[in-house]
Amino acid sequence: MKTLLPLAWASAWNRRLSLTLATLSIALAVALLLSVTRAREAAQTHFAQSVAGGDLVVGPRGSPVQLLLHAVFHLGDASHTLAWKSYQALAADPLIAWRLPLALGDSHQGFPVLGSTPEYFRHLGDGQQQGLRFADGRPFAGLFEAVIGAEVAARLGYRTGQQITLQHGASHLDAHHHDEDANHPEHADKPFRIVGVLAPTGTPVDRTLVVSLQALEAIHLDWQGGMPMPGLSIPAEAAGKFDLTPKHLNAVLIGLHQRTDVFRVQRQINAFGGEPLMAILPGLAMDELWQLVGSVERTLHGLAWLVMAAGLAGLVAVIVASLGERRRELAILRSVGAGRRHIIGLLVLEGALVTVAGIALGMVVVEAAGHLLAPWLRTRLGMDLSGATLSIEALQRVGAVLATGIAASLIPAWRASRMALADGLLPRL
Amino acid sequence: MAPAIHIRDLCFAWPGQTAPCLTLSALDVDQGEQVFIQGESCAGKSTLLNLIGGVLVPRQGSLQILDQALDALSPPARDRFRVDHIGFIFQQFNLLPYLSALDNVLLPCRFSATRARRAGARPVEEARRLLDALEVDAGDAARPASTLSVGQQQRVAAARALIGRPELILADEPTSALDPRRQDAFLTLLGKEVAAHGSSLVLVSHDPRLASRFDRCITL
Repeated sequence: MKTLLPLAWASAWNRRLSLTLATLSIALAVALLLSVTRAREAAQTHFAQSVAGGDLVVGPRGSPVQLLLHAVFHLGDASHTLAWKSYQALAADPLIAWRLPLALGDSHQGFPVLGSTPEYFRHLGDGQQQGLRFADGRPFAGLFEAVIGAEVAARLGYRTGQQITLQHGASHLDAHHHDEDANHPEHADKPFRIVGVLAPTGTPVDRTLVVSLQALEAIHLDWQGGMPMPGLSIPAEAAGKFDLTPKHLNAVLIGLHQRTDVFRVQRQINAFGGEPLMAILPGLAMDELWQLVGSVERTLHGLAWLVMAAGLAGLVAVIVASLGERRRELAILRSVGAGRRHIIGLLVLEGALVTVAGIALGMVVVEAAGHLLAPWLRTRLGMDLSGATLSIEALQRVGAVLATGIAASLIPAWRASRMALADGLLPRL
Repeated sequence: MAPAIHIRDLCFAWPGQTAPCLTLSALDVDQGEQVFIQGESCAGKSTLLNLIGGVLVPRQGSLQILDQALDALSPPARDRFRVDHIGFIFQQFNLLPYLSALDNVLLPCRFSATRARRAGARPVEEARRLLDALEVDAGDAARPASTLSVGQQQRVAAARALIGRPELILADEPTSALDPRRQDAFLTLLGKEVAAHGSSLVLVSHDPRLASRFDRCITL
């Protein structure tokens, strides 16, 4: 090894152009492989943080994944709602510590607007600690007051004290396309004042505007069927005079005194007599969702490995192609005492050097891209890459790449040793 | 003292061929002797070199280098034996182009502990001394081998063959790439250094004019 490494290095350096190209292709494949792994891990962490807030999510009976997406990630439209009466009935259960009503449906500049109670800020968190921190301001108290998530504030440049109006209709997943939201009629007559900005959490809370349930009722007083009622206009000042108790909710988040009661409470809610309800464990529903996403991830992984195979095949091709012009080199090495195992060692070392260089470069690319793209990913997808380091899984993959690279190098090594044996000390050129 | 080369009734044929490509009834080279072997280019010179170097194994007959029958050794042991006891100089392109002249000279010491030991406490010093003796100056010694002239390359190759005092130096047409004046200078330097080391020299060439300066001349 001590004998061969400087030789392998000097010889490889002598052919650096073609080997650099092989290194680049391996680096790209490694970068692809690692970024797929890392994106999956970041998404998993992000998802896990997002559901850390409650023990059960209650909604109208239907698809658990859909309820999860809607209630936790505020994605998609809710086809069904549950009645306010059912929410009130949950109060009777002594096992339940707290209930958080969730009403969705409006949006602002593409960000979802969530109707809830001030309790929201006490019960949700960022996965590490319970309770949301305010970067500025306070929870809403008055009717037309709103609290905005960190990312809403950052993206739209909002501060406390500013006035905003909500748009009727659910948000678009991609906030960049808010031109399309122009189709949504505005609640321009009843503007909201921003009273609080939340600190970043790395959860969907960052992308959310939170208002009171009553406020959502108030802005829809003079609406029917998704449009303002012609000829009827209730001014903002007068809204407080109406009964603003909501009639419908999209979901209820529940916290228990004892987590161990979770299946008992779930059974009780599923058997609720008033209307067909469903209680889901966010973690379990997440696993279900994860299985859907998992197949995409596996496909991407398969592709990454194919790219890796192409990269390693390129490496083998480059080294095999170089052997023809290296017959003299091999003969000289034979004449100064290199045996078959030295020739094999030399070529395997060369392949390993290129593979290691490719892996190192690929890791640097992923780290650099992670740093450059972290803010973008955070705002666009809510995924936090900044804390991501090399996981055991990523290291295993890298190890597998190295092992495959070394195994692939045995092909040129075997050929070189055959050539060296046949040529002896005097290759016929 | 054991003869450097002892060959009796040697016969070699490539696998699958019946007609032998080399037969040699007897060849003896004593230690310290400088022998010239003259042969046409198709007379099996390279086969003989590969046999003495232990890269090929004879089909029949006995071949002993320094009393060691090469065919009794395993291939790795033959590789070790070759570098421990034999230095090679070829016609041309002797050097690894990506190493400096000095590193080329040190190559046998990398593969053989015996050669490294015999090269003294600091093989680098011995390599420098040899290069100096063969009139390769220190500046050229540090340059990549590919930038040297053919004459310089051959002298570097001679230094590499001599480092660590192997008992036997095998040279295959070492002067054919040189013009007559440089041929002469090269052979003078080589002969002097080989004699100073007490090694045996076997020089193979098709050119009979070189024979005059050798102890003995054999026609293949």
